[in-house]
Amino acid sequence: MSHAPTGSPFARTEVLADGCAVVTVGGSWKLDDTLPAIVVKGDRVRVVADDLSDFDSSLPAWLYANFRNVRQLDLSALPPRLQSLVQMAEKATFTDTHAHDTGFLEQFGTWGVESSSSWGRAFEHIGHTAVGFLRMVVGRAKVNWSDFTLQLQTAGVDALPIVALLGFLTGLIMAYVGLIQLRQVGATVYVANLVSLAMTREMGALMTGVIACGRTSTAYASQLGSMNVSQETDALRALGINPVEYLAVPRILAVTLMVPLLAVFATFIGVLGGMIVACAGDLSIEQYLTQAIRAISFKSFLVGFLKSIAFGFIAAWAGCYRGSVAKRSALGVGEAATSAAVLGITFIVISDALFAVIFNLFNL
Amino acid sequence: MSDASAILTCTDLAIGHGSRVIMDRLNLALPAGKILAIVGPSGCGKSTLMRALGGLDEPLGGKTTLMGVDLNAARGTQRQDILRRMGFLFQGSALFSSLTLRENIEMPMREFLKAPRKEIRQLAEYKLALVGLADAMDKLPSEISGGMAKRAGIARAMALDPAVIFLDEPSAGLDPVSSGRLDELILRLREAFGTTVVLVSHEIPSILRTADFCVYLDPDTGTMGAYGPPKTFLQAGQSPKVHAFFTQARFD
Repeated sequence: MSHAPTGSPFARTEVLADGCAVVTVGGSWKLDDTLPAIVVKGDRVRVVADDLSDFDSSLPAWLYANFRNVRQLDLSALPPRLQSLVQMAEKATFTDTHAHDTGFLEQFGTWGVESSSSWGRAFEHIGHTAVGFLRMVVGRAKVNWSDFTLQLQTAGVDALPIVALLGFLTGLIMAYVGLIQLRQVGATVYVANLVSLAMTREMGALMTGVIACGRTSTAYASQLGSMNVSQETDALRALGINPVEYLAVPRILAVTLMVPLLAVFATFIGVLGGMIVACAGDLSIEQYLTQAIRAISFKSFLVGFLKSIAFGFIAAWAGCYRGSVAKRSALGVGEAATSAAVLGITFIVISDALFAVIFNLFNL
Repeated sequence: MSDASAILTCTDLAIGHGSRVIMDRLNLALPAGKILAIVGPSGCGKSTLMRALGGLDEPLGGKTTLMGVDLNAARGTQRQDILRRMGFLFQGSALFSSLTLRENIEMPMREFLKAPRKEIRQLAEYKLALVGLADAMDKLPSEISGGMAKRAGIARAMALDPAVIFLDEPSAGLDPVSSGRLDELILRLREAFGTTVVLVSHEIPSILRTADFCVYLDPDTGTMGAYGPPKTFLQAGQSPKVHAFFTQARFD
């Protein structure tokens, strides 16, 4: 290796007759400099300094990176401070690290075990929630009722604008698509049936459930996750208060009560949204409303209402569950919020499919 | 001790929260390569003083200098250069939870150094090896113990070879063995890099082991109650309040 310009860090290698590699380092070594590359073969290395003017931790870091695996490393010719800097890194061992490489099979196995235990924790949380509700009914649970009224406000009333907007647009889009198709067979009057029935049975509840997941689940996961980080849930346990009863039950109850009301509101607004498109097309307001009211039966209303109760429960539970198992870090809280929304929406869609099968069996 | 040899000074410094002064008339001059411990009863302003000395908070009055530069008057590149010469370990370690330990150490290097990625990686691995975390480089902060987090925090504070490092209660929450090891580490790093250390601590045995100078903040008078080598605080001639604080804390 050739000499670098004066002042710049350099390293050159020479292999002696006995097989020992002698590495000479010199120049000025600074954190901002590009350091020399070196290839040393063999298991005996002696490092010497030549014209070594100045160095910071870049030189010991370079020596540590290049020679830490060499079997016989001789640093005795280096300045004592440099020797100690390299030896400090080599010798600094603490017994509390247990790192080991994991193979693919072990990683797969770990993933399997963690996934199954995650499902186990989810069912356990559902069980705790059910027990919490039962204890609340018999008056034995310690429930934070001030949280309950606050959640009625934040998960219910505060959600009205976004529910109205999305409900209105959903009705509008359905009416628009329906109008185009039904016009081809001269049955545009049935746009009102399509919109009102779809909103009542399906879309009102589904859209509200999804909004609750995006809005409320994530908020609950963040709140409870942050409480986990700051050990507030541990403090509750230490006081003999069950965090599920105290924190999750009022939230789940509030959302389970508010989502059906929001769903009814979304349905009403959705039907109005459909009316605007339908009336801009071929129908009069009177025609549309008469047809819409005729299409909605009590059974259809009941189907949508029952679904919205379930969706409200799922959205709130997903947030509380993911928050309660969040890792104790900022990253963990973020992950909890994301996974709460994903879990809630997935469960809502799955349960919607199950409802479709069940209601079909009972001719609802 | 003359001001000329001091790397860190404060003159008539007043510190507090908001506009409320909790300590004033603070005068210090710390020579390079020495360890200063700030002690005093809880809530007396130890961490606030450390933050003011490190330029994290603006003092309510007076002046602090680091390597001759007035920290509060420095702006732009000068301020950035001076901040680069300091390292901080916060009470909760303050590691970035979304980054591995190696990435935590690499982060300031990537921001401030022009060195290639490979060299930054080497440096980060070396710094972690110095604090005994060579085997835990790819772990996240949530996967390590409190003692390991403290050591990783020190490695990050040392990332850019600072002239001064500030350690806020480095041994808080650690068992005596881990606390003793951390003291050794601080002494070794000081010896190897010649770094000046300012630490806030309640651990009197740890202060007696590591510190060259100690400042006692007296909440009753709102200023320094004593300043000098910590062993002198144990002597009978010392102010009764300081003597009682040191001896009681030592043997409690």
